[in-house]
Amino acid sequence: MTLLSILGMISSAIFSGTSLLYTTLGETIHQRSGIVNLGLEGVMLISASSGFAVTAITGNPYLGVFIAMMAGGIMNMILGFLVVTRRANQLASGLALMFFGFGLSAIIGKPYVGTRINALPRLNLPGLSSLPRLYSSLFKFDFLIILVIPAAFFVWWLLFRTRWGLGLRAVGESADTAFASGRSPFLIRYQALFLGGMLTGLGAAHLSIAYTINWTEYMTGGRGFIAVALVIFSKWHPLRAILGALLFSGAVAFQLLLQSSGVQISPFLLDTIPYILTLLVLIVWGGARRHAAPASLGRIYQGVE
Amino acid sequence: MKSKIFYTFLAVLMVAALLLSACGTTDEEQTTEEPVVEVSETDAPVVEEPVTEEPAAEEPATEEPATDGPCLIIGALYGGPINDAGYNQAMHDSVMAIQENIDCVEIIEAENVPEEAGATSTMENMIQQGAGMIFATAFNHQYPALTLSQQYPDVIFEHAGGWEMSGNFANFFGEPPDTWYVMGVAAGLMTETNKLGFVAAFPLGWTNTFINAYTLGAQSVNPDVETIVAFTFGWGDSAQEADATNSLINQGVDVITMHVDSPATVLSTAESRGAYSIGFQSLAAQEFAPEYWISGIGFTLGDTLTWLASNVIDDSWEPIFLRCGIADGCMAMGPFGPNVPQDVQDQVLEALAAIESGDTVVFTGPVVDQDGNIVVAEGEVLTPDLMSSVDWFVQGVTGSPQ
Repeated sequence: MTLLSILGMISSAIFSGTSLLYTTLGETIHQRSGIVNLGLEGVMLISASSGFAVTAITGNPYLGVFIAMMAGGIMNMILGFLVVTRRANQLASGLALMFFGFGLSAIIGKPYVGTRINALPRLNLPGLSSLPRLYSSLFKFDFLIILVIPAAFFVWWLLFRTRWGLGLRAVGESADTAFASGRSPFLIRYQALFLGGMLTGLGAAHLSIAYTINWTEYMTGGRGFIAVALVIFSKWHPLRAILGALLFSGAVAFQLLLQSSGVQISPFLLDTIPYILTLLVLIVWGGARRHAAPASLGRIYQGVE
Repeated sequence: MKSKIFYTFLAVLMVAALLLSACGTTDEEQTTEEPVVEVSETDAPVVEEPVTEEPAAEEPATEEPATDGPCLIIGALYGGPINDAGYNQAMHDSVMAIQENIDCVEIIEAENVPEEAGATSTMENMIQQGAGMIFATAFNHQYPALTLSQQYPDVIFEHAGGWEMSGNFANFFGEPPDTWYVMGVAAGLMTETNKLGFVAAFPLGWTNTFINAYTLGAQSVNPDVETIVAFTFGWGDSAQEADATNSLINQGVDVITMHVDSPATVLSTAESRGAYSIGFQSLAAQEFAPEYWISGIGFTLGDTLTWLASNVIDDSWEPIFLRCGIADGCMAMGPFGPNVPQDVQDQVLEALAAIESGDTVVFTGPVVDQDGNIVVAEGEVLTPDLMSSVDWFVQGVTGSPQ
């Protein structure tokens, strides 16, 4: 193990963990308001494809990021309509949203497969430019990476330090009580979904416009579901989500490092390491009672007519 | 509740906006559940013997005279999108070359047909439209096509890269190992760290063969060279491809190549890290690595497919197990990148000439695997049917082949 390979693992964890963290933050907001969004995978795909398409058309990656963000919010409005207004089952609606996203994103992205776009520019961090390119390119981050940790703190501040956050968490714990205290669970859940969708969209934008600079069908490869698991891992706390996302993407980077360092273990087995790690964490965490899920997570608020 | 109506309206509006914007970005009506079938017709065929005295060309042809029907309708189906700058684009370009060479054929294409059930219904649909010849280009298309070939004995089926044969079912493919050897020569000459990186989707027989040929080529000019392999376990998992590329570069690799569907992510990631790269599948990939591109290889099966189609037209088609290499024009090497020195280019072209003339045969024994076992004995040559089931890496490859 050389210094470069260790630094490289950290760099890879940051690069591929960014999209996971944005998505996890989005899902944290949904779940804190009492909604499980299993459609994240579909939302990410729609955001990634529409962001990529807009970047390909206009040549402006920032516009692409913005569109990806809005697409994420709008996709979640569909879920909101189903589970908040129409009071449909959250799990079933989420899965339906996911499959909808699979199909629609394939259509949106179809004309832009194999298109070369202007990627989101990577900025030189001060002090790094004197290093050899091999090293300096490890830590040339785009603005979405630079903003991801502040975003986690922002979500934390929003949830735990503002009245709006208090109301949102109240809705997640007991929508009836929140309603009785003068808040509108419907409105708050729509707001939570829209904000969470925008964060999910940012994550997807990073994936397609900044990191892989490519659109392929189903390119998210299960990251939406990993984000749901990471929300549980982080016990519905935005700051612990930072750790979760880094740990998972670090495990991916680690297994790739093992594979290519000549360890004679089947690569099929190594490929499962990050997922086994996720399972183990869920098993260990599962028993703890403190900081458990929002009390009315997944429950439908029937409202007062 | 007024707000409920308002939000209902809002949600419907947004769904509508989303759907409309989605339609705006595509030119044709497309659905994803059904494979997309595009019909591209030939220009009005040349009328050799006008039946009537009126010149037909002056009026836009509203109906086709019976004598002007296409001489052959060809159905072609692909596993992925035909603009992927990768395998599917290479196959699409090859099929479209038939159209350019033979004016009177009509081609029906279907892309994004990855699985077997969809392939069966797509091919049946094409046969209903009059297809007399089918090109099934994805790995999964082989058995659906073979089954249909028994149901439709009058239709000729050609599969890309398969091994089954019957009276009206045969297969064709380029011979990538030869070209991978030449690319290995290029990589072996360009590397400064003596470490080459290979991003692969799955440890499959053919992929292992490519990696072996590439390594043997590199070792032929640079005995110290080592090829490091990283598997992504997905033909299109871009994020994993970027991770794998970075991981390889971080271990000192300075030349990257890949066997995944679309080379875009691997090439652009290598470019951003300042590592050299070699493309595979379609020569269209060079644009993703303008500065650090060494060269690339792609399928150029146009002439071969044209020959097969012309055989069908004049009724001389016979089922043959067709494999053709770079010497026959079925594979081609891309242009060199701007940073490849002239003497390297010369040596690569020499190696290519030796392959074309038959002086170099890639897997000539003795070939030794990672553990030192002799896998191809002295005086023997690895045959193409064995290449598809290779489960070993030659000495000098780091990685696990199974």
